[in-house]
Amino acid sequence: MSASGTMNAGYLETLLAGQPHLPASPLAWLNALRAEAVDRVGVLTVPTQRDEEWRFTDISQLTKMSFHPVRTTISLQVADIERFYIEEATTRLVFVDGVYAPQLSSGITDNGVAVVNLEAGFAAHAAAIEPYLGRLTEFSDNVFAALNTAFLHDAALIVVPRDTSVAVPVHLLFIATQKDVVSYPRCLLLAGSGSAVTVVEDYVSLQEDAYFTNAVTEIALVDNARVNHIRVQREGAKAFHIANCAVTVARASNYQSVSVAFGARISRYNLNVQLAEEAECAVDGLALIAGRQLADTHTCIDHAMPNAVSRQMHKCIVGGSAHAVFNGKIKVRQGAQRTDSRQSSRNLLLTGKAHVDTKPQLEIFADDVKCTHGATIGQLDNEEVFYLQSRGLSETAARNMLTYAFGAEIIERMPISSLKLQLEQTVLEQTTVQP
Amino acid sequence: MSATLQNLVNQPYKHGFVTSIESDVAPKGLNEDTIRMISAKKKEPEWLLDFRLKSYAAWLKMEEPAWPNVHYPKIDFQAISYYAAPKQKPKLKSMDEVDPELLRTFEKLGVPLHERMALAGVAVDVIFDSVSVTTTYKHKLAEVGIIFCSMSEAVLEHPELVQKYLGTVIPPSDNFYAALNSAVFTDGSFCYIPKGVKCPMDLSTYFRINTEESGQFERTMIIAEEGSSVSYLEGCTAPAFSSNQLHAAVVELVALDNADIKYSTVQNWYAGDENGIGGIYNFVTKRGLAKGVNSRISWTQVETGSAITWKYPSCVLLGDNSVGEFYSVAVTNHYQQADTGTKMIHIGKNTRSTIVSKGISAGHSNNSYRGLVKIAPSATGARNYSQCDSMLVGHQSGAHTFPYIQVANNCSQVEHEASTSKIGEDQLFYFAQRGINAEAAVSMIINGFCKDVFQQLPMEFAVEATALLSFKLEGSVG
Repeated sequence: MSASGTMNAGYLETLLAGQPHLPASPLAWLNALRAEAVDRVGVLTVPTQRDEEWRFTDISQLTKMSFHPVRTTISLQVADIERFYIEEATTRLVFVDGVYAPQLSSGITDNGVAVVNLEAGFAAHAAAIEPYLGRLTEFSDNVFAALNTAFLHDAALIVVPRDTSVAVPVHLLFIATQKDVVSYPRCLLLAGSGSAVTVVEDYVSLQEDAYFTNAVTEIALVDNARVNHIRVQREGAKAFHIANCAVTVARASNYQSVSVAFGARISRYNLNVQLAEEAECAVDGLALIAGRQLADTHTCIDHAMPNAVSRQMHKCIVGGSAHAVFNGKIKVRQGAQRTDSRQSSRNLLLTGKAHVDTKPQLEIFADDVKCTHGATIGQLDNEEVFYLQSRGLSETAARNMLTYAFGAEIIERMPISSLKLQLEQTVLEQTTVQP
Repeated sequence: MSATLQNLVNQPYKHGFVTSIESDVAPKGLNEDTIRMISAKKKEPEWLLDFRLKSYAAWLKMEEPAWPNVHYPKIDFQAISYYAAPKQKPKLKSMDEVDPELLRTFEKLGVPLHERMALAGVAVDVIFDSVSVTTTYKHKLAEVGIIFCSMSEAVLEHPELVQKYLGTVIPPSDNFYAALNSAVFTDGSFCYIPKGVKCPMDLSTYFRINTEESGQFERTMIIAEEGSSVSYLEGCTAPAFSSNQLHAAVVELVALDNADIKYSTVQNWYAGDENGIGGIYNFVTKRGLAKGVNSRISWTQVETGSAITWKYPSCVLLGDNSVGEFYSVAVTNHYQQADTGTKMIHIGKNTRSTIVSKGISAGHSNNSYRGLVKIAPSATGARNYSQCDSMLVGHQSGAHTFPYIQVANNCSQVEHEASTSKIGEDQLFYFAQRGINAEAAVSMIINGFCKDVFQQLPMEFAVEATALLSFKLEGSVG
């Protein structure tokens, strides 16, 4: 135990090595926040499978590799990254290895709407940011969130003022270009009262070597706001991707989220959603993995107040000797009466070596609630395959079609058609078995 | 309406009384000498003492588990007396020879032994505290070759069987309380069904904790040989004491080829008073090994008592085509805590398991379902269906579900469903419309909610369980 502890400490020190060189922020509270996070990293250790929250996800490989903060930024041309663009999302912030690339970005600053990098937005929005940045994500017992916060100096910032709806989806594009680098992407979205916005958080890679993305996203919805949050994780095949996302949904707001995980050797996504009175959320996810990939999704939907509604559908399609993990917690606090919550975890295993660990979890402290959850693990229904065969499809074609449909159900829920097409194509390619 | 409900919920524990039978109680505390003493008192062979001492050594190195969703003051294992036996008496041949005081105890519990024997044809192996006092119907069972006796007797008379199977399903190092039990267990039931024998009657044991401050550590074992079948009933009540009592039992079942074991429990130990003072800590390890092909192990439990219940009757489905079942109703009220569920470990091909769990929490209680369904790569064609429903009564209680599902092959089918609900005002109104008062309505609704489980109980237990639930909970909705 002590041996691994020392190893962990050394590992975290290596990761922290770049931190002291960060330029001090003009904002005292931000410097204090960073210092607090550095202190936490000093206290915490890297989780192992002995920790309940990590019992199915072995990240020891991550600790065996040494990643350093980005030293030189690579200047990319539009031509290099154009293929990742989403047609409808012309408002775009691009980060290369975690560093903002202004020449590739096209933000907005008008009528109080801001889609900018944090450094540019500080001056105008410091007061609005302070209560949320680093506050929504609990990092006191989360070493990866603490590390990200320790390195917090720039971020993607989206501020939507009261009663404003942003017509064009916002594309936040995080591109990995260098090996052995650790990057700390950070996003902050503040949706004002009665506002509406659609955001795509997108992680891509231009190279196939190992690197480490440690991301934190914070989203705050004030009363009656509506946020569509799409998350696409298509990192390189050897990448490590660990992300924390915290969302607070105030009274009568609506948070819709679709997250897909295709890439990375090991990925972990923690999503915490806290619902106030009459708030609604729909949290959907798809993990499509093969080879030796591991995709882990942990969600916690916290019904803190009465009359909130939550819906969740999480699907995994697991091929090769890949391993999918899902842990979905629904919490209904005392007094959160008339909560209506539904959760479903559906898993499709394509090969004999694939494997799934799922744990849909309910913690309920109020009596007048309707909560259900369900989980299924299995393979394609032979009757469905037979039905398609009876319509003249070969068995392989029938199986491909059903597998594709299984995954496409989640992609379907995205409100941006070109992205939908793009991702459906990925699902099709990955699930198609040649006859 | 609340007031009525409150009344119903707050029914005092009916079985709270202390029988004054002189007990032979060991001094408090646990060390190797205590274990040697227990072993010597019971005239045990050397290998069993070794087993106990090894378990004790393992226990010393283990830590008390902290992961269950239950909270209680730390147990002082040195403040418990590990042996309590009614004073040695000559072995009895008929009911007339049994201590009349003891008979009256059962009378008060509503379990008149002879009546049971006559009416239900049930052989009752009476466990009073830790030592078996009388065994009925033993001769009848002996005719077909069934061994049904107390564990102590089995150790002396059938040592080869006990030695062959003891600790094979639940090794002493399995968990903290199993290790403790392996070191200090005093008695329990032993049941051996020979090859091809269908047990002619339901086997039943009444457990009862009697001596204040004495932890009870039963060890029960059922072995069903090839092609045999048995249904075993276990029922529990305990007197009302104010200090907590620890109960850490171990139950091991082994089913060989084509064998069938059905194990039913009704547990109604003292749950503490309405302020959560007192009550039994029920930390039990129960596991069945479906070792042979086509074997079947079925657990049915109705858990209404104990301050804290912490048990997971499990099935290890090793034999091809073996079947595991778990049917459970857990009711908690006042400050009771229950963390219970099952583990279904699928190893053999085409193994099947069913889990039906119903949790009802009232008052300030917390009721958790914690289950594991694990499909090993070798368990091709495995099938599991789980359903866990919770019902909350009152806004101070909690219901939790922690289902772990681990699947490691692509030709198995696992389904899990869970829901949480309450008794609706509209349901009560519907009953009221038809002239049925709230009390009776709730009783009916709850019995309906638990029907899937009660159906699995043997007839006489089903009747008892229905009555038990009614008096524990009926009308507790407001």
